[in-house]
Amino acid sequence: MPSSRDDCVRRVLDIFEVWNRRLHFYIGLYLLFFLWLFAFTGLLLNHPGWTFAEFWPTRKQTAFERAITPPPVGPDLAQAENILKQLGLSGEIEWTSARADARRLDFRASRPGHIFEIKTDFDRERATVRRIDLNVWGVMHILHTFTGVRAGDSRNQRDWLLTSIWAFTMDAVGIGLMIMVLGSYYMWWRLPRKRAWGLVALISGWAVCLLFVVGLRLLV
Amino acid sequence: MQRGFYLVTRDLHLYAGLFISPFLVVFAVSVFVLVHPPGSLPSPSAERTARPVQNLEIPAGLENLSGRARIDAVRPLLDRAGVHGEIGSIRYIPKEHRLSVPVGVPGRETTFDLDLDRRSATISGRETGIWDALVQLHKSPGPHLAEIRMNWIAMRAWRWLADATVYLLLFISVSGIYLWTVLRLERRAGMAMLAAGAVSFFGIVYALVAG
Repeated sequence: MPSSRDDCVRRVLDIFEVWNRRLHFYIGLYLLFFLWLFAFTGLLLNHPGWTFAEFWPTRKQTAFERAITPPPVGPDLAQAENILKQLGLSGEIEWTSARADARRLDFRASRPGHIFEIKTDFDRERATVRRIDLNVWGVMHILHTFTGVRAGDSRNQRDWLLTSIWAFTMDAVGIGLMIMVLGSYYMWWRLPRKRAWGLVALISGWAVCLLFVVGLRLLV
Repeated sequence: MQRGFYLVTRDLHLYAGLFISPFLVVFAVSVFVLVHPPGSLPSPSAERTARPVQNLEIPAGLENLSGRARIDAVRPLLDRAGVHGEIGSIRYIPKEHRLSVPVGVPGRETTFDLDLDRRSATISGRETGIWDALVQLHKSPGPHLAEIRMNWIAMRAWRWLADATVYLLLFISVSGIYLWTVLRLERRAGMAMLAAGAVSFFGIVYALVAG
């Protein structure tokens, strides 16, 4: 006769089973557009020869000069943010060169689809802006890689709120994918008739993957 | 007929999903390293001892070649020296009549420093670790150096696998939508999640692009 403890465990397992299944498709449906974006743009990034998705040769460039008020003395980032505000622009600030002159500040501000290259001269109280606009393919390309940071580059840090939100989104997609993968292993294991072929698919996937992640380094 | 279609789709969704799951894990885990990269590059303690190779048969005019032709000419020298991997952008140093050949394997970087006058080379390198391997695989083949990249058979296979992962992901997402629509009881909740995802996605993208 089953004990009340067994009943309790059974109930918990039943609830887990139902919610694991629900989570699998709730997360999948919530992340659907994000997954399609990252999957499709990954394909585009891996095939630069696909001419239909060209965006750099078709970019539109404009340039203009504006009067600015020299920003108060302070860190480069605060000065750059001040200048962007005066110009009515926003984006992720990127340092393109080391600052050699305290009376000049050159930087780039970018957002998916738009790049602003800004050169300032505090003595002349002028800012020269070169604006580059990309087509929809350019927007998609940049969304895939828009993190605001690069390995080994400590000078450029995420400094725009929307970049941080997008970076958080990328993390969330990664976590969501892993929850879906782990949940799918459990759901598959609960189907005894599918175990054998599932094991073949799973082992072959992991074997190929591990060959690339660690195997090649050990073999060659 | 409809039942048969459902069962086949469900099985394909399951097996395709299981097969690509490790690749999805690789791409998902490496996202964290790409979004939160370490501030500095790997420590030099991971460097391997340099070793020399002598008496190399260097093809005439190697330094004048460029692009894929130079890669193809260097490959036999690397094979002879027992260096395998994806050759990166080769740098020619005219003053020293030397070629610096970077060779990568996921998780390892090797430099084949070829002295054209002495017909010798020095092989040095370092282990960059599993995180770097994941990042390298995530970014391969990528949009850069299109003319020379994927010059190693293993990376050509990876390119194929990376593409296959995308196609299979698109398939399992579409088949997943079909399988969800069959579950009548979950339609409303699923629709709410889909709508919430669409609003989040288009909202963030709109703010990034035009906001």
